[in-house]
Amino acid sequence: MAVIRVDARGMACPGPISALTKAYRKAKNGDILEVLATDPGFKPDVQAWVKRTGNELTELTEEKDYIKASIKVTAKKT
Amino acid sequence: MKKVVILGGGGGGAILANLLPKDEFDVTVIDKKENHVFLPGNLFIAFMGHKKERYMKPLKELLKPHIKFLHDEIISLDLNERKIKTKGKEIEYDYVAIATGAHLDYDAISGNTELLNKFGDYYSGPENAAKLHNTLMGMKEGNFVIAVADPIYMCPPAPQKGAFLSSKFFAKRGLKEKVKVILALPFPHAYSSKVISDIIEPELRKEGIEVHTFFTVDSIDTKNKKIFSVEGEEINYEVAVVIPIHEGPEYEVKPAEVKDDSNYIKIDKYTSKVEGFDDAYAIGDCTNAPTSKSGVTAHLQAETVASRLQGFDAKYSGRTNCPLLTNGTGLFIISDYDHPPVPVKLSKFKRLMEDLFVATYWDAIRYPELWEPIFKAYFEATNPEVLGKEGW
Ligand SMILES: Cc1cc2nc3c(=O)[nH]c(=O)nc-3n(C[C@H](O)[C@H](O)[C@H](O)COP(=O)(O)OP(=O)(O)OC[C@H]3O[C@@H](n4cnc5c(N)ncnc54)[C@H](O)[C@@H]3O)c2cc1C
Repeated sequence: MAVIRVDARGMACPGPISALTKAYRKAKNGDILEVLATDPGFKPDVQAWVKRTGNELTELTEEKDYIKASIKVTAKKT
Repeated sequence: MKKVVILGGGGGGAILANLLPKDEFDVTVIDKKENHVFLPGNLFIAFMGHKKERYMKPLKELLKPHIKFLHDEIISLDLNERKIKTKGKEIEYDYVAIATGAHLDYDAISGNTELLNKFGDYYSGPENAAKLHNTLMGMKEGNFVIAVADPIYMCPPAPQKGAFLSSKFFAKRGLKEKVKVILALPFPHAYSSKVISDIIEPELRKEGIEVHTFFTVDSIDTKNKKIFSVEGEEINYEVAVVIPIHEGPEYEVKPAEVKDDSNYIKIDKYTSKVEGFDDAYAIGDCTNAPTSKSGVTAHLQAETVASRLQGFDAKYSGRTNCPLLTNGTGLFIISDYDHPPVPVKLSKFKRLMEDLFVATYWDAIRYPELWEPIFKAYFEATNPEVLGKEGW
């Protein structure tokens, strides 16, 4: 179990979801993915991503100049 | 004379070599392939049946006569010792430019090498593109799937281009009802950028191309003809192309810290200098620059490095220009480091200009100094700053 930090601030294209996907490939169930992003599209995108993949969104907050999402990995097939 | 060694004679390396004045530089280009390949041609070979020879030329002929060409494979590069090892030689330099492109790692996804060997594809080269054409000619029904193994790959619109062109190909063969074209992408939408997506989604629908979003290939079961995604879904295929994981140079580079997690060479995104070195540059698809992996990037970085080697303080803005040909016309996707992608819809006239570019490619590689003012005028007229959000 590990906390994996993904700093995607400043990334617009291909975007923070791509950075999240890259980290998710290597993650294991129980890991926490903490993603920081500035792209405003990230909020709806990460919500859609969690819904589709069946992982758990434990936090989605807007800080002063970035968005932070924490995802608990639960849906990886082993 | 300054001794410059250029690793790789693809789009970036060949242009850089040809831009360096012969009275000031002693230039050597090393490439393991004898032929320079125009990679966008793969699309026309695979989906339109063009002859592959149209898109390959001996590199020796594309380089100006004073440039030395070494046909050999690079095994290692030592930036501290200024030494390059190839299979047959050891070479020293005053300046080095790394331009070996992206390494396509088919083995990283289980089943992908088998898929490539069976069907061919349109990423690895003209031979495999011709093979894919044969495969598609023999296809009678079922799903033709184009999928992506990682969000970072050459020419961001190439999966969509492949989908449009293959859909047209099947329609022409009278198989529109029998063969379904499926596009599977890691992104939330039909393109990594929402603005571009909004334009092409209706076109994809009109063509009957099925799009699967949030689908990043995890593995391929070639026995049961299924592709599985990292996100936990699966797609059945009759024929499939999975765009492989891209990485930086496979050969050893010392010090190891100049490569990132994916082996990409860490550079200053404006000057193309390798981090920590004043006599080493990297251009094109082999770098970690946060911009699209495209021929335009390689070309503009080559111009930047050529200017810098001649003592000018040139910088690259991150400018890209990727054409996405849909059916009748299409669009250019333009962006730079400071501006997200702007769509530029192509009229028939601008589409003609794109075809013209394909026709002039060899000349632009051979005589980049003659084409520089033309490209410059175009890039200025289509600067994302000038375009705003409206497009050209
Ligand atoms: C289907 C497709 C369509 C595309 N369409 C477009 C487009 O419309 N517009 C656009 O701008 N870009 C497009 N691209 C992308 C473009 O082709 C690449 O970004 C461009 O070729 C990158 O140039 P490069 O010089 O960095 O690398 P490359 O052109 O890949 O050249 C690298 C060279 O290095 C050599 N090399 C590699 N390793 C070694 C070694 N160990 N030893 C010796 N030699 C080595 C290779 O043989 C090769 O010749 C497309 C790509 C594909 C696949």
